[in-house]
Amino acid sequence: MTELSVDERHAAGTVELTMQQAVNRALRTALAEDPAVLLFGEDVGRLGGVFRVTDGLQAEFGADRVFDTPLAESAIVGMAVGLAMNGFRPVPELQFDGFAYPAVDQIVNQMARMHYRSRGTAPMPITLRLPSFGGIQAPEHHGESLEALFAHVPGLKVVAPADPADAYRLLLQSVRADDPVVFMEPKARYWDRGPVPVGADASGMDPIGTSRVVRPGRHATLVAWGAMVHRCLEVAELAAEDGVDLEVLDLRWLKPIDADGLAASVARTRRAVVVHEAPLTAGLGAEVAALITERAFRDLAAPVQRVTGFDVPYPAGPLEPQYLPTIDRVLFAVQRTLEF
Amino acid sequence: MAEVTFTLPDLGEGLVEASVLEWLVAPGDTVERNAPLVELETAKSAVEIPSPHAGTVARVHAEEGAVVAVGAPLVTFEVADAPGIVGTVPRAEKPTRRVRLTPPKE
Repeated sequence: MTELSVDERHAAGTVELTMQQAVNRALRTALAEDPAVLLFGEDVGRLGGVFRVTDGLQAEFGADRVFDTPLAESAIVGMAVGLAMNGFRPVPELQFDGFAYPAVDQIVNQMARMHYRSRGTAPMPITLRLPSFGGIQAPEHHGESLEALFAHVPGLKVVAPADPADAYRLLLQSVRADDPVVFMEPKARYWDRGPVPVGADASGMDPIGTSRVVRPGRHATLVAWGAMVHRCLEVAELAAEDGVDLEVLDLRWLKPIDADGLAASVARTRRAVVVHEAPLTAGLGAEVAALITERAFRDLAAPVQRVTGFDVPYPAGPLEPQYLPTIDRVLFAVQRTLEF
Repeated sequence: MAEVTFTLPDLGEGLVEASVLEWLVAPGDTVERNAPLVELETAKSAVEIPSPHAGTVARVHAEEGAVVAVGAPLVTFEVADAPGIVGTVPRAEKPTRRVRLTPPKE
């Protein structure tokens, strides 16, 4: 087993990191604590990843544990399945969300089902890292929201962190979990900096499937995940100028979804607006609205509103800000719940 | 702004060098992409090379009459920073809005 580096053993404390650095730090901790952890993907090794998230890890842990693959997403995930069957704990990276489509067979038919198919004898402790969502005005295939697609697949867990501290905690939790997790990193927030409790301070983790209230409020709940949490916090700041006190709930886990957390928040605020980047139709906003309606119908003062991308592909480049939920679209939905 | 250097391209027909006949731009000039850049003479013919970039000419690397090998620097441009091939780092902007809210009656 690799010796824990000095700061991993002793640096229990809080450090300022970008989300990129926080993910890097979590991967480093995972590699150090478990020799079965392997990192691989396109440019993950020598280059350190297209977003520099795996920077320095090949140098530290060697090319046997952190390595480059051919440009073949189906092979990357297929290899992860085989490695998991042989006792490894793979953490493959697909460079961009849109590149996951060629690997859907391996993800859905193999990774998600092997534990079930093998009657529990072949667990799949795979964490599939997927830089996700829009916000960087990237070309086609480089900005997608696949959470509803993967949340729909039995056997998969799906999670999207919103800030550096959560990226660190949730990634470690995902790697340590014995089930396959699709880990969706919001690339638009990779450069955000924030305090990250590392080492021993990260031990008190919420159970898988727990949401968190990032801003308490009393007039309505904004439900979001990934980069849209940041957008909702902006909206809540502006709403406060008007005397409207918005709660922001970061769902974090998109499978399993924290239905109790949703119901508890709506019991306080009586109104909910779900905000996501993915297209409206059959998006997770519908699932959230259904869960709130089932659990908290009598608490609701207004129907749950959805503010989402449109039913079109993510537009490339400068049109993208018009596609993503804007501050005004969210505010308008909030007003609809206040007036109902 | 970023600098890009244009090297003498392979002019075909097995040619390994060319001499500069006449510069059609000078340092400080603003050039459009595909605008005439330089006239070169090879063992076969004189050819006019179009500019591969839009930008400002920072410097030329060969005087008129000099012989330039294929692959050697010809001219350096200053060009505007283009978005990366996989997108751009989002800028922190002050959030703005038009929609105003009316608080609910308590």
